[in-house]
Amino acid sequence: MKLRAELAEAARISWSAILANRGRGALTTLGIIIGIAAVITTMTAANGLARTFRETFSAVGADVLYVSRMPWVIVNDFWKYRTRPILGLDDSERLSQSLRGRAIVNPTIDVGLPASFRDRTLESTRIIGTTDRQLIVSSAVPALGRFLLPVDDHYRRRVCVLGHEVRERLFGKVDPVGRDVRLGASVFRVIGVMEKQGGGFLGGPNFDLQVFVPVSTFARLFGDRSTDRSVTIAVKALSHEAVPELEYEIIGEMRKIRRLRPGQQENFSINRLDTLLTAYNNVMGVVLGIGLLVTGIALFVGGVGVTNIMFVSVMERTREIGIRKALGATRRSILLQFLIEGGIICLGGGVAGILVAWLITLLIDATLMPASLSPQIAVIALLIAFTIGVLAGLAPAWRGARQDPIEALRYE
Amino acid sequence: MPAQPAAAGPLLHLEDIVRTYWLGTTEVQALRGVTLEIAHNEYVAIMGPSGSGKSTLMNLIGCLDRPTSGSYRLEGQPVSEMSDDQLAEVRNRRIGFVFQTFNLLPRSDVLHNVELPLVYAGIPRAERRERAEQAIARVGLADRARHRPNELSGGQRQRVAIARALIGNPAILLADEPTGNLDSRTGADIMAMFDELYASGQTVILVTHEDDIAAHARRTIRLRDGHIESDVARAAPATARQ
Ligand SMILES: Nc1ncnc2c1ncn2[C@@H]1O[C@H](COP(=O)(O)OP(=O)(O)O)[C@@H](O)[C@H]1O
Ligand SMILES: [Mg+2]
Repeated sequence: MKLRAELAEAARISWSAILANRGRGALTTLGIIIGIAAVITTMTAANGLARTFRETFSAVGADVLYVSRMPWVIVNDFWKYRTRPILGLDDSERLSQSLRGRAIVNPTIDVGLPASFRDRTLESTRIIGTTDRQLIVSSAVPALGRFLLPVDDHYRRRVCVLGHEVRERLFGKVDPVGRDVRLGASVFRVIGVMEKQGGGFLGGPNFDLQVFVPVSTFARLFGDRSTDRSVTIAVKALSHEAVPELEYEIIGEMRKIRRLRPGQQENFSINRLDTLLTAYNNVMGVVLGIGLLVTGIALFVGGVGVTNIMFVSVMERTREIGIRKALGATRRSILLQFLIEGGIICLGGGVAGILVAWLITLLIDATLMPASLSPQIAVIALLIAFTIGVLAGLAPAWRGARQDPIEALRYE
Repeated sequence: MPAQPAAAGPLLHLEDIVRTYWLGTTEVQALRGVTLEIAHNEYVAIMGPSGSGKSTLMNLIGCLDRPTSGSYRLEGQPVSEMSDDQLAEVRNRRIGFVFQTFNLLPRSDVLHNVELPLVYAGIPRAERRERAEQAIARVGLADRARHRPNELSGGQRQRVAIARALIGNPAILLADEPTGNLDSRTGADIMAMFDELYASGQTVILVTHEDDIAAHARRTIRLRDGHIESDVARAAPATARQ
């Protein structure tokens, strides 16, 4: 009961003190505002990153190995990989033959080409030559119409399956199945639309902007080995446990296909989710590192600023402290009063910081990756702000609480 | 909470109180062995030249300070041995202060100023409000409850301070030069209020250097150089002379 009355009094008096010194408070909370905006942005970015990664992860598939000319993530020494020979559809066919019964093999080739329907054009689409086995090696499923069939590949049909976003942006509400779209300079008939998948991790594939066409059609119209386009061969193990052994086998088979002598370095790469995971961890590390650094510095500077104005505030109110003590305020009540004042000042900074972070989030969402400010993060940020305020107020509040009442009353 | 007054004992008892200040290495003895008893419902004026130790004695009686040596019992309780926070509680429950400079909170209105002691006593808001309104009405400022101190005259401010001092039903009303910042007419009003409070059973102790003011009290204690020089009780009420 007593504590509650004191808390209410502390909040009330802090509030009127803050209102009386608005300008001063606003200025010193700048650091807090920046710090809170930074912590929220960091958390939001990390969340968004984790989500897009999860989407990519499930689309790629955990038990699928990808054989390609270059590794997905080139850590250094790009030039070493440049001289590697191209992988062609024939390589894929041979690998498929030798792994028959032990794995499912699916080749893909891709190219970025604009897609258009009537007067609408989408520049950022990725055309992917693939086969019916795409559905087995990835988690993708058609939402509308059908996917590619072996016959499409066999007859090199000019048919295509649109990614979710391609459909939305080219067709709007129109049913695209049976309609003709232009991919680059060639016309294709739409036979299906994929479910929404997401992705777009770090400029990695945005699955909803893909358009699938038969790989044979792709090779004829857009080129394959002959035009310097390399195939990526997806190899799906029959079970997760079989992945390590399969990787071994693939290396052996690929060495044969590539005619590598023993001891000669491999001129192809085998990618797995782990590769992506490493990249993900690196980026996450950078985001968190920079975010926490900015947050830490800003909150520290902000905290020091708040400590400073709290010292001024305590000094200006020495006489008030004397009066309160004469009337029965204990050290605890004076301490509480100034701690709460510091907390409220920083809470104000926190609210402003959330507004700033919200704007930044909108910007990230529009440019980098899908992002939204979650209420939980906002609440955590406010708690952090309040805690910083209380910590920043500790030293000044303690000085105020320890004031000798007689001297405080005599203070002019 | 301190015990209620023992029916028989004195309200306060000071025994050989010494209060020494240190200014660097020089020792200033503000009180050099003061022994004093004040009973319930006394009306005491403390007088003496400047620097004689009046304020020091007031601060000790009001539990704002502790003696360097000697013992002080208030309502039988050994307050000279209490901790800071215990003293805060004693001030809150048993002492009402009236200062020369009023010492009101400038940003708070009259109502909040008056209820403040009850905040620190942990009294619920509704009861606080009611008691504060009564106390304000008692000093004749019911229509000023929502005003801030800077909107009031000096006499009105001092009445607010008296309402604040009385709201916790203190054992002692302590006033240090309560009329020092007031013109003589307003000062007389304030003294009339103290007289009335005394008449209704309140113990009043005031510090003054003016004989007119001291004449209101029934007992005058004169200090000189930290000693009690004289301690004179008077039967006839001062107001009878007017
Ligand atoms: N805080 C202090 N530090 C040092 N000396 C003090 C302090 N307070 C009072 N004194 C000294 O103690 C003596 C008594 O002071 P005080 O009680 O204020 O006298 P009065 O109120 O009668 O004028 C004076 O000599 C004064 O200078
Ligand atoms: Mg004095």
